[in-house]
Amino acid sequence: MDRRKLEENIFKGISYLAGIISGLILILIIGKIAWAGIPYINWYFLLTSENETPGIGGAIGNSIVGTFVLSILATVLASPLAVGLAVYMKRYAKNRPFIKLVDFCVEVMSGTPSIVLGALGILILVFYLRYYTGGFSLISGAIALSLLILPVIERAAEQAIDRVPKELEEASYALGANKWETIIKITLPFALSGIITGIVLGIGRAAEESTIVIMTAGYSIHMLSFKIVPNEALINGMKVYPFQALLATLPITIYNSYHYPTMVDQGEGFAAALVLIAIVMFINLGTRLLLRRRRIG
Amino acid sequence: MQQFIERLNTKFLETAGLFDTFKVKNADHFFFSAIAGMALFLMLFIIIYVFYVAYPVLIKVGLFDFVTDAAWSYGSSEYGIREYALSTIYLTVLTLLISVPLGIFAAIYLAEFASRKIESILRPLIELLVGIPSVVYGIFGFFILEDIFRYHIDPFLDSTLGVFLPIFRDTNPNHGFSLLLASTVLAVMILPTIVTLSQDAIRMVSKDYRDASFSLGATKWETIKNTVLPAAKGGIIASVILGAMRAMGETMAVLMLYGGSARAPVSILDSGTAMTSIILGDLGSHFNNDEAVSALFAIAALLFGMEIFFVLIIKLIGASYGSSKA
Repeated sequence: MDRRKLEENIFKGISYLAGIISGLILILIIGKIAWAGIPYINWYFLLTSENETPGIGGAIGNSIVGTFVLSILATVLASPLAVGLAVYMKRYAKNRPFIKLVDFCVEVMSGTPSIVLGALGILILVFYLRYYTGGFSLISGAIALSLLILPVIERAAEQAIDRVPKELEEASYALGANKWETIIKITLPFALSGIITGIVLGIGRAAEESTIVIMTAGYSIHMLSFKIVPNEALINGMKVYPFQALLATLPITIYNSYHYPTMVDQGEGFAAALVLIAIVMFINLGTRLLLRRRRIG
Repeated sequence: MQQFIERLNTKFLETAGLFDTFKVKNADHFFFSAIAGMALFLMLFIIIYVFYVAYPVLIKVGLFDFVTDAAWSYGSSEYGIREYALSTIYLTVLTLLISVPLGIFAAIYLAEFASRKIESILRPLIELLVGIPSVVYGIFGFFILEDIFRYHIDPFLDSTLGVFLPIFRDTNPNHGFSLLLASTVLAVMILPTIVTLSQDAIRMVSKDYRDASFSLGATKWETIKNTVLPAAKGGIIASVILGAMRAMGETMAVLMLYGGSARAPVSILDSGTAMTSIILGDLGSHFNNDEAVSALFAIAALLFGMEIFFVLIIKLIGASYGSSKA
């Protein structure tokens, strides 16, 4: 009996310890990064473009703007495909093998190592299609990232459509609406908050990605700009900023503090990291609150 | 919009030949089929294209030699990834050795011992670890943990366990980048996956099982060990596989922390180069060499193949798990 009691207490202790350690890791990491990064954060650092400071580093305004533009453009490209696919899978698809094939593809895509998408991006978008995309550019990065977040949004949309009560749709059909009207006016509006949650999660997923971005969007110390410049190497003989131009993003700013340790202060890397974490966590917490409110309401 | 659809509908009815071949009943059906077809085409294209680019070198070298040869040189077109593959395997295994016990016990704590209030604080803290980008984990390890490992943990392991166990020997005391450092950081990265999915699996176990075990006189821990964990086995294994997938495919943090030596590590304090790092490092500078691109894609194809294999295993577990519960 004593041995059983002892074993009970030992493993209970181990479980408590593991739980507490796991919970403390986040506080430890964020605390350490905040400690190193906060002294560097001020309005000048956040709002100035890097090309206005001497050398690289010094400010991250261009990267913050670039991160938002890139992840939102990637989501804009991915969402119609993802939501359309989800609607088709849930309301039209009848063929069992086809459904299984799509499910399998989405599952494989959602676990794809980012280096695989990065390698495809750098070969196809940056190298083969450089006449159209301008090589390392916003549009290359956005297309590659849209493939990364396609399964995220698709899964969320499928779950949201699953939660639409059947009675509502049947009522719509009973009133004489056809399938298109039912989907556009009943199903999608009802599933909207779930779909938006998926889209916002997609933005967060795109914002934190570094491997794909470094292999497709490159990096630039300039703030993104809207202009058209003649360029014989590109389609129509012109380069359209910002789409065909290099783009600065926060993950690569952070990477630079590792890659050019003598030129970029590591504190700036941590400050940029803190800003990126704040953006991603804000998105994650926001969607969590959105989900919780819906569950209650 | 509605009129547009109706007009499209009549258009389709007019072109009855097309109508019959594609079996498109309505314009809306056509619209969503087109989107779904496009998405499916894109996904299939990605999956197939990786293997298509990798094919020439895999055929030329042979899959077995590709994996087991140690020489990797673009100049003499020798492509063998043994050292990189071993580096990645060691990395994944050590990551799991650190993360799985910690993660599963944390999941047991959250599901079985923690009060609701503590659980509602701890679980979000663990889940939010997912929100830390891998490049941030990278510089955290690079600037902060490397110092600690180099001056404290590495010498300590070297002078205690390293005396009689070669796998704890520190062959390069000048830096802290090592298998152990990379694995520690990766273990934190995959911890939320393991904890949350395992906790969900443990919580799914029916209360009747527990009551039956308690009524037979088992203690709480005996109930967990003999009843709850075996019943939650499928979900826990799936969580570990998902964690392994993430560890294997991770690029940025590993690139920063593994040290980048050409040989696979022989001790956990040695450095190595993971398969992902070699792709990221070399692909951009070898576009003019089709064979090099193909060889690098062969590495990507190998990683991708492993991932697809894992997805299949999880599907199989899910199927058997689901049927046993029904």
